This record gives sequence, structure tokens and C-alpha cells, in this order.
Amino acid sequence: MKDSVAQPRKHRSVARRKLFNNSFSVICLLVSSLAIVVLATLLVAIFSTGGNWLSFEMLSGSHRENNPEGSGIGQAILGSLVICSICGLVALPIGVGTAIFLEEFKPKGRLLRIFHGLVQLNINNLAGVPSIVYGILGLTAFVYMFGAFSPIRVNDQPDHEIGATYFYQTKTLGGQYVRFPAVPLIQPVIKIKQGRNASKINGDKFKLNVVSASTEKSKYANQVNETVLLGTEAKLSSRNGNQVYEAKTIGGEPFNFPAEATYSQFAKIIEPITVSNSDGDTFSLNVLSKSEPIPTDPTILAQSVFADSPDPNKRSSASIFRENSLFHLHLPFSKSVLSAALTLALVILPIVIIASQEAIRGVPQTLREAAFGMGATRWQVVRSAVLPSATPGIMTGAILAMSRAIGEAAPLLAVMGGVLGTTNHLSSLMDKTPVLPVTIFKWAGDENQGFEHLAAAAIIVLLAFLLLMNSLAIFIRYRYEKKLS
Amino acid sequence: MSNLASSTRMNQSRSILSNTIPQASTATLTPPVENESIAIDITGFNAFYGSFQALHDLNLKIPNQKVTAFIGPSGCGKSTLLKWCNRMNDIVPIARATGSLTVGGRNILTRSTDVVDLRRQVGMVFQKANPFPKSIFDNVAYGVRLHYKTSRSELSDLVEWSLKKAALWDEVKDRLKRSALGLSGGQQQRLCIARAIATGPEILLMDEPCSALDPASTARIEDLIFELREQFTIVIVTHNMQQAARCSDRTAFFFDGKIVEEGATEDVFTRPRKQQTEDYVTGKFG
Repeated sequence: MKDSVAQPRKHRSVARRKLFNNSFSVICLLVSSLAIVVLATLLVAIFSTGGNWLSFEMLSGSHRENNPEGSGIGQAILGSLVICSICGLVALPIGVGTAIFLEEFKPKGRLLRIFHGLVQLNINNLAGVPSIVYGILGLTAFVYMFGAFSPIRVNDQPDHEIGATYFYQTKTLGGQYVRFPAVPLIQPVIKIKQGRNASKINGDKFKLNVVSASTEKSKYANQVNETVLLGTEAKLSSRNGNQVYEAKTIGGEPFNFPAEATYSQFAKIIEPITVSNSDGDTFSLNVLSKSEPIPTDPTILAQSVFADSPDPNKRSSASIFRENSLFHLHLPFSKSVLSAALTLALVILPIVIIASQEAIRGVPQTLREAAFGMGATRWQVVRSAVLPSATPGIMTGAILAMSRAIGEAAPLLAVMGGVLGTTNHLSSLMDKTPVLPVTIFKWAGDENQGFEHLAAAAIIVLLAFLLLMNSLAIFIRYRYEKKLS
Repeated sequence: MSNLASSTRMNQSRSILSNTIPQASTATLTPPVENESIAIDITGFNAFYGSFQALHDLNLKIPNQKVTAFIGPSGCGKSTLLKWCNRMNDIVPIARATGSLTVGGRNILTRSTDVVDLRRQVGMVFQKANPFPKSIFDNVAYGVRLHYKTSRSELSDLVEWSLKKAALWDEVKDRLKRSALGLSGGQQQRLCIARAIATGPEILLMDEPCSALDPASTARIEDLIFELREQFTIVIVTHNMQQAARCSDRTAFFFDGKIVEEGATEDVFTRPRKQQTEDYVTGKFG
């Protein structure tokens, strides 16, 4: 009797257990309906505020100061789509590649295993980092590029640039705009305004300091041979066949630095030059002296400018313009569409990687074995067995990640500023553009009440985009699953 | 006395031989296997998973163009040995092996072994049919495309040949473009065999190929194995004693990481030399 297991005597009341069961299901129902209520309230609020403001003009227009009725989100939609696409194009290959490395190319060596573990740990943690932190990262890495290049100044030609053509433009006496190509210019004398890498006569390289006259002498007392005063003149000279500017430091030490070609802001027109007008016609510009009578023929007038003037500063001048090709790039990227897209790519990269890893892990091991057993290399296994089966999962993850990217405002505020409307159309990746979330953020905070309604209308558009992308994700998953089975 | 003993043993072995021969083609088989007809030569082979030793000092010669069955209870290491024969254990990070395992005169355990080429020579069929989620045609063409550059007509000829060899052609010739996943389990396994022989291997390894199939499908695969041995060396791991007895020429009985007994199938099943073997094949344990 003693060694048999004693059965517990006390039964739990069945009625009580049923009561708990029922009340818990009621609680769950209430909690989930709360979420629905909140969502419904949000939708009702947004539609009642902004529903009436949706119109074709609103969808295609652009921001106008103090004029909510005339403003629209055309530019913002385009900007959001462009940034989101570039972001996806960058994040998808990197993310899928990383996931393949993490899942399929698990290294055997000890050091590589540690590296593998570090990458995995890093990604798991990065997924939870707030997006504004990525904004600051993007600011350092893409906008300023860690200060590795001279900063982009407004109205100045960047040192490292491709895909831009410069031309001068002026208005003729007939009121027509004409342009002529600009050539880079090396000025014989420049004023030193910023620190830069320079070389001494013996070839030693050093970082040149620039101080203003008011700076205390003690601050540069111990480096007088590496410091110049702001505005010190440097003269063009030729050294070993290279064009350099030469100057002397405060300590009297001569030094030089490479002369970069630049454009002058204005060109003086003093003699006939070949120009083209907006229709693309080329002709020789008629340069008149002030003493000449002004021609009466409008065709000639349209092709004439004044040249002669006792004061050379009053001669006709043309100011410089830049025309960007689609592939216009400069370093650093500065506050631009490209910086914004790359930053958003960083934001969604951990999501893409983790989703892709999940999808790759979901591929049955038997498929890998089958491919390995046929003599496939690791890459062939990935290419022909793993990726086809993992693609729906990867695509779903990528689209959901991009739907996060399209709604991000904080990192874009950091790397592109709160752009609301631009006069130029988006022509290259180096331009700035308004985007939907930033536009909504700025409008919702605008003192003009009308913009609040407009913000609500823009939110409807943004929600529509999110809904579209999520449906696309579901559709892709459904279609592939049907195809694979 | 010793003379007498040895002559008796010889007589015995001769008599065993005459009993074992199921058909004329195996008449030349005499244990031990002659040197020139060895497909896989295993000597002093040890296999490990981490610090666990799965196989201990194995010595085994697997003859050319015969069916060799590995039998034994679960966990005795027969699948491990099979997977080492085409280095499939490479995908298990903690697996390693010592000793020598020679395929076609080369020790394949060396670092310099090209496993990709090895696996073309030594094909594998798995326990569970694992066709790719592609069309039937693409499944069979998979290995061919990995290893060879072929014209379209060459490829379709090869696919047809392989499917005919695997006795599947008549059932699938009208739906080559359809997904392989629509086939029945037995058809899928025959598709996997077609896929494996399409690259022209010399050896086929089969890891319990019928364990997930119904008796009718099993019978078809067994018939297939019987036909395929005219062209391929086949090594089959099986839990099914009848299967080993029905379709293999030689049998190796594994127990606890060692080969207890190896010989002509008939001998192992009807006149086992070891008590352990007898107990296993008669179903006393295992």
C-alpha cells in the first residue's frame, strides 16, 4: 500500500475551469476589438479630415507656400517612389547575399566562425535600432563621407564630380536666353579659405590650418609652419609639370597644393561668341558697343548683347548654370536623393536579411541534399535548389521592408532636410526631393489650418501605397506557393 | 589434421557457392572479391561525429556491377558509411573520417578529392524521395546541366534514356513539363533514380530507398535495382531483410559501428558464420 502512488484527492472544479476559459476568451475578444476600434477611429478621422481634399490637382501638384488649396503631393509621390526603389535595389542584393552567407556558407575555420557569429549578432541587434540613429549614420557616411572630401558648397563646383555640364547663360537685348559652354578655369591667384592637404617644398605632406586674424596667437603658436591666415593669397605656379598654388605659412615656410579647375560664377562677354538658344539653334552673338544704335530688327535684337563699356564690370555678363545628366554624381553625396535612399537601405537591411534568412531556413534540407548528391557546388545548390524555393519568402520580406521604408520620415529629415517643394524637377540622384512622410510631417505642423487637411489627404495616399505593397506581398506568396506545389 | 580441416572448409565454401548463385551472371563471384572487379575498397576506415566514433576500423570490398546490401539495426553506422562513399557527410560540419576509402583507385578521403566530380561518379538516392520543385524534365536534366554542356536534343535524349532506365518513361512521357511534385511517392523515388543515373555514374548509393513506400512501389523499385545492376554498381542500405535477400548479391551486416559479417547474400542469410548475424537475420533482435 505504501509504495503505490497516492492519487490526488482534491479535484479542480470543472465549472470553475470552464468559467476561467470563457472569461479569458471574452477578454481576448475585447482586447482585439480594441485594436480594431483604434484603427477604425484613425481611418474615420483621417478620411473626414482629408477625404474632401483628395483631387487630381492635389495628387499632381507641388507645395505652395501659404496656399493649401493650390498645393499637392505630385513631387512627393515621385520622390518617395524613386527613393524607395533605389533603396530596394540596394538593400535587396546586399540583404539576400548576407542571408545566403549566414545560412548557406557557414564557415568551418575558427576565425571565420567568429566573424560569422559577429555578423549574425550585429544584424539581430541592428533590427531594433531607431531609424533616427540611421539618419545620423547616413549623415556621416553618405552626406559628409566622414569628411574625406572637401564639402559641397552652394553655387560651387564640387571637386569630385561626373555627369554634369556647365554652361553660361545670358539674356539678349531681345529678351531671349542664350547659352554657351563653360570651360574650367584655373585662376592665377586665389584666396585660401579652408584647410586642405598641402606639401612643403621638400615634398613633406601636412594638413594646412586656416585661422582668422582675430584668433589668438597662442592657438597656433606651436605650428606656425602649418598655418595660414584666412584669405592668404596663393599664386598659380607649375611644379614638376603639375599646376599648383604656392603660398607661405605664418612662419614663412613656402608650401603648395594642387590647383583644381573651377568655373567662375560670371563670364564677361566682350567679343562675338557662338551661343545656342532654347530651341537649340546656334548662332554667333552680336556684341554691340554702347555707342552703336540699337538695332530695330527683332531677329537681330534677339541675338545681340552690349559689350563695350568704360567700366569692365558693366560689360554684359553671363552667369553659370549646371545641367545634370541622369548619372550626375559627386563626392560626398551631400544632402541628396542618393544619400536618402542609401540611408533607408541601411534601415531596412536588417529586416531584409532576417526575412531572407527565415525563408532560406524554411527550404527543406532534403532539397540541399538532393543537389549536393548530384554533385552541385555550394553555389549551384544555392542557385538552383535553395533560392527558387526561398524566393517567395524573400520577396515578401523585401516588400514588407520597403513598405517600412516608404513610411520613414526621421532618417530622411536628417539626410535630406525637410524639403517641401523644389522648383526643379527631379533630374539626378544628387538633387533633393520632397517625400510623402516628410511632407505630411511638415504640413501637419503648419500654422495654416488648410495644410492639416492636406496632410490627412496625403496620409490617405500613403496608406493606399502601404496597402498596395502589402497586397503585392501576399499575392506573390500565394502565386509562388501555388506554382511550387 | 590441419590439412583435413582446411580441405573441409574449402569443400564447404564450394558447396556454398553452388547454392548461392541465383543466376548465371553471378557465377564468377567468388569470395573474397577479385581485385580488378572492386568498385569501392574500404580499409582501416573510422568515422566520427565530433568525439563520437560511429565506425570502427572497417574493411570491406564492394564488387563492381553487383548489388551490395548494408543491413543492421538503427544507429549501427551503415548510412554513415554509405554517405562517406560520396562524401555527402561533408555537409555535416562535425563529421570526419580516417583510414582509406578508395573509389576507382583513388582514396577519396584526401583533401584534394574533387567532391563535385566524385558525386558525378557516385550518385545517390535518398531515403525520402526529394525531387526539386521543378518539372519532371528539369529534375532529370538537373545533374546533366550541372556537369555537362549539352544541346537541347542531346539533353532530351538523355532524359528519355534515364526515365526509361528508371522504368518511369511510360508513366510520365506525356507530362514532362509538369511539376515533379505531382507524382506519387513511388514515382518520385524512381524519378530520383532517373536523376541520379542521368549523369552517368559508375556507382549508385541508395539509402533505404523504399522505406517510405508502399509494397507495390517497393516491388517496382526492387525490380529496377535488379535491372540496373547490369550497368551500375549498387550499394543499398536497408532495414528490410527480405529486400536485402531479394535484390542483393552481397550483404554486409553492421552492428555497433563494426562489420560483423560480410559475404554472398545467400551465405549471410542461410549460413551465417556468426551467432549475432543469425540472430539478426532471423529476427531475434534488431
